[in-house]
Amino acid sequence: MQVTEQQRTENPLKTLPIHHKRITNKSMNDEINHKELADWLTAVGQDRDKQAFTNLFKFFSPKILRISSSKFNTQAIANEIVQETMTNVWRKAHLYSADKGAPTTWVYTVMRNVSFDLLRKIQSKKEDTLSDDIWPTLDVADEEETEFADHIENQKVLALLDSLPEKQQQVIKGFYFMEMSQEQLAQHLNLPLGTVKSRLRLALNKLKQHVDLQLGDNHD
Amino acid sequence: MIKHHPNTELLSGHVNGQLPASLSAAIAMHNELCPQCARTVNNMTEEQAELSFEQSPGEATNDIDFNAIDIEQMIAAITSDESIELLAEDVPMTVTVKGQDYKIPRAIQHMPMGKWNSFGKITRARMDLNEGDIHTSLLQIAPGGSVPEHTHKGFELTLLLQGSFKDEMGTYVAGDFIMLDGEHQHTPETTDGCLCFTVADGAQHFTQGINKLLNPIGSLIY
Ligand SMILES: [Zn+2]
Repeated sequence: MQVTEQQRTENPLKTLPIHHKRITNKSMNDEINHKELADWLTAVGQDRDKQAFTNLFKFFSPKILRISSSKFNTQAIANEIVQETMTNVWRKAHLYSADKGAPTTWVYTVMRNVSFDLLRKIQSKKEDTLSDDIWPTLDVADEEETEFADHIENQKVLALLDSLPEKQQQVIKGFYFMEMSQEQLAQHLNLPLGTVKSRLRLALNKLKQHVDLQLGDNHD
Repeated sequence: MIKHHPNTELLSGHVNGQLPASLSAAIAMHNELCPQCARTVNNMTEEQAELSFEQSPGEATNDIDFNAIDIEQMIAAITSDESIELLAEDVPMTVTVKGQDYKIPRAIQHMPMGKWNSFGKITRARMDLNEGDIHTSLLQIAPGGSVPEHTHKGFELTLLLQGSFKDEMGTYVAGDFIMLDGEHQHTPETTDGCLCFTVADGAQHFTQGINKLLNPIGSLIY
């Protein structure tokens, strides 16, 4: 998306002193370190650790800016989403649990809620924050995926394994063929437990879609 | 058992935060009663998070002026506030309509609600969401009551919150997410009474005989 000069002048942050510090693309292309992200979030949540927050800010804000810019088409709003999302990350980090879900999923829901309330403010001129009621912070159920897991045979999983991204293949291999528990996998792969659960959910969901497709099931 | 669910397009709009508050709230209330859709939404959320943060940003970043943000200043401003946001408690809320008590689900507890108005056995309160042509209401039908046959210009969603009703197409239970387009018409009726959350796009038109006389109040019901 191209940002015009006119949109730039609307940018409320423009009046602030500008530090020309570019976040390099290189670090963003590297494999994401879930353990690190989870540790930073936990440090912010438990110790109000400002350095950890700075690390999170540098990791997430360019991505949030990119996503919001393509969604809202003006940089002023995208900047506001960055500011609001990171403010909520700072204020709500104690609600994140590294054992329950991936840090990226948690930040995504914070960003989604901020965008939702902002979209509503623009379209309906309402300042309410209904997102907290519509998407309350709830425990993600971890039990159900294992139930499904029992239903597909190893042979079938093996045949479908290649259709999964590498990171999801890892957890599926450990889970199905080495019969490791989620906790053991987290240890073995040096990942937060929540990320293992998240990847397993994603992978099993993809496998399930393939199996359903093959059986010609129609879930409507 | 719940037989009527939001379609994939609606669920995905919900996950992305792109639906009107009325529809997203309806999906949230459906999901509270429907583990199947709740799980689909969880999976879609994981997928969206992955798409958003796991993939390399590619060329697109060049178009975005990240330099316009003063990182240090923003971080300092955010972290200068030491307060934390406490998790809002889930306080049960009930409403009494014509002597009947109803539980109000969390998703709509803070929506501004207008006064209850009765038209025969139908009692309705508008939600003041300011979403243009989209009108959102809580609708109570007293035992033995029915909604006159009608169609809509746009869509009409009925989410059954409590009780049951039936129409030409079948019977419905709490949690059923009944989405009709402008083509369909129906005449819901209830034996034991019910409370519904309704979202309609555009005014409704009553289609039959004497009910045509009701047309002027048509938009007053849904
Ligand atoms: Zn459902």
